[in-house]
Amino acid sequence: MSPLDIFMLVARVAFAAFIPLCFIAVCVWMERRGAGYFQDRSGPNRANIFGFRAAGLVQNLADAAKLFFKEDVISDHIKHKFYFVLAPVIVFFTALVSFAVVPFADTLVLGGKSYIMQGIPLDLGILWFLSFVGFSVYGIILAGWSSTNKFGVLGALRSAAQVISYEIPMGLAIVSLLVVYGTVNLNEIAQFQGKLLFGFIPMWGAVLQPLGMVIFIIAAFAETNRTPFDLAEGESELVAGFHVEYSAMKFAIFFMGEYVAMFASSAMIVTLFFGGYQVPFLSTATLISQAKPLAFLLMIILPVVMHFFAGWIRRSNVSHYPRENDPRVFEATVYIKCFWGLVIILEVLLLAILFSASGGPTAHIFVVLLQVCTFLFKITMMIFVYIWVRWTLPRFRYDQLQKLGWQMLLPLALLNIFITSAFVVALS
Amino acid sequence: MFAEALFFGFAVLSVLGAIGLLVFRHPMNGAMSLVVTMISLAGLYALLSAKLIFALQLIVYAGAIMSLVLFIIMFLNIQESDLPAEKGRWLYQLGGIIVIIPIASFLIKIVKSIPGSKATIVGSGFGGVKEVGLVLFQDWLLPFEIVSILLLVALLGAVVLAGKRRMSK
Repeated sequence: MSPLDIFMLVARVAFAAFIPLCFIAVCVWMERRGAGYFQDRSGPNRANIFGFRAAGLVQNLADAAKLFFKEDVISDHIKHKFYFVLAPVIVFFTALVSFAVVPFADTLVLGGKSYIMQGIPLDLGILWFLSFVGFSVYGIILAGWSSTNKFGVLGALRSAAQVISYEIPMGLAIVSLLVVYGTVNLNEIAQFQGKLLFGFIPMWGAVLQPLGMVIFIIAAFAETNRTPFDLAEGESELVAGFHVEYSAMKFAIFFMGEYVAMFASSAMIVTLFFGGYQVPFLSTATLISQAKPLAFLLMIILPVVMHFFAGWIRRSNVSHYPRENDPRVFEATVYIKCFWGLVIILEVLLLAILFSASGGPTAHIFVVLLQVCTFLFKITMMIFVYIWVRWTLPRFRYDQLQKLGWQMLLPLALLNIFITSAFVVALS
Repeated sequence: MFAEALFFGFAVLSVLGAIGLLVFRHPMNGAMSLVVTMISLAGLYALLSAKLIFALQLIVYAGAIMSLVLFIIMFLNIQESDLPAEKGRWLYQLGGIIVIIPIASFLIKIVKSIPGSKATIVGSGFGGVKEVGLVLFQDWLLPFEIVSILLLVALLGAVVLAGKRRMSK
């Protein structure tokens, strides 16, 4: 292996392992800011380092410090301590590994060699995701059962029954997708979605399979145990459900596992239905050939966007009552300077692309970075949908939840398979 | 070399899991050892380049079936006091081992008589979804359909039997 091969291997594994971890912080922050926005309040705005609150991101650090230094209690009544400790590890690890097969950019060609841009170069794609989503049930069952607590057992029973029953509509929605795409390889699925339908609509799964998309997204919400399907930890009835006996870092790992699962399923929804890493209307080949005009366009757009962003920061980051020498105005000035610095660095990098040979390795790397940014942007949008739903919809009753799964989604998914197959057979 | 080390790791784990299933008293421990066996079997399939079987083993056996088993064990909420006393357990196990010895020695003899060959991982184009699907739906279509009808009959039978008991009550 050449040094470049080793570097690419390390880079892609590091991306698949660390990006979900970084997104925990982003998700928690978005959740709190989103909750504040939907409930018409400010959200986290007190925790700070030397007066810098970073729009509430510092609150995450405070939380981490709190959970880290809290006493880690394992009650005496817990007999099976091994399973009790194993459960959060399973939940977190399965969520993290399920992201490993999602491609975050198109295959990079450097010096005649192609590098697949996913954590594990496996062509099983969706099957891998499905198997690890199934494994996360073990963590929930073991946590609830080993807690030896009636609330824990009830929460685990609800959650396991819910995950098992929603796996069926999810799998059937994937079947109809596979009929359309004709492959289980996620990279090939993303490449398929780079084409254009009738010459002007991107051939995204959302356009080709609208019903499948709705079913898959509902099932994904249920699989990640998020509201309106979070009966497993319904605070008003079950205290906290399956993690009621957990404290300190063990609870934090459950908490982080939930957000990693949310990130992984958002990544899967984006890859299956919203074109994955594809920039809309611009396929990878177009991007590589048009790298220079694109870089030039970005060089013009970036400062304009930054100008309006700076204005927004200046307007938003002020005290709500008149103060002398408002410290928040100083805070805003520092933020704006930091962002301008970032924009200047990006401009220099884009300038370097303008002066490099066209179609060379620089253009290829530029396109990969552009696709990674597109992919992460789409995932962030999908995570916002998760948060939006959580703070808008009330929780289902348990019988309503099972009725929705078995009597609505399952027949709809079967119908979708028949209609899709009929279309595919008629058109081919 | 690497593949052989993996093979030995998975083989040892799967045998240990099977032993654990027999030896552990608590059903939860038994079920978890069976999960270990199922996952290591999936690893062995992956070493044989059977990618689709690897995924199916993980989804169906290690995922769906075993989580249902665990679910039922949790549902029954078995405590140590509910388990039977099992007097003379060691005697039974000793007897079992004595019965197994001739069969095991016979099997070892057979395995030793197999000519040795190098284990290599076959690359892409074998055992994937497309390859297995083509063989299954071209060469083996009729047996496949018959087996699926058999499974459907078993499924309907389970539903009918479960429904009948509720009727009589």
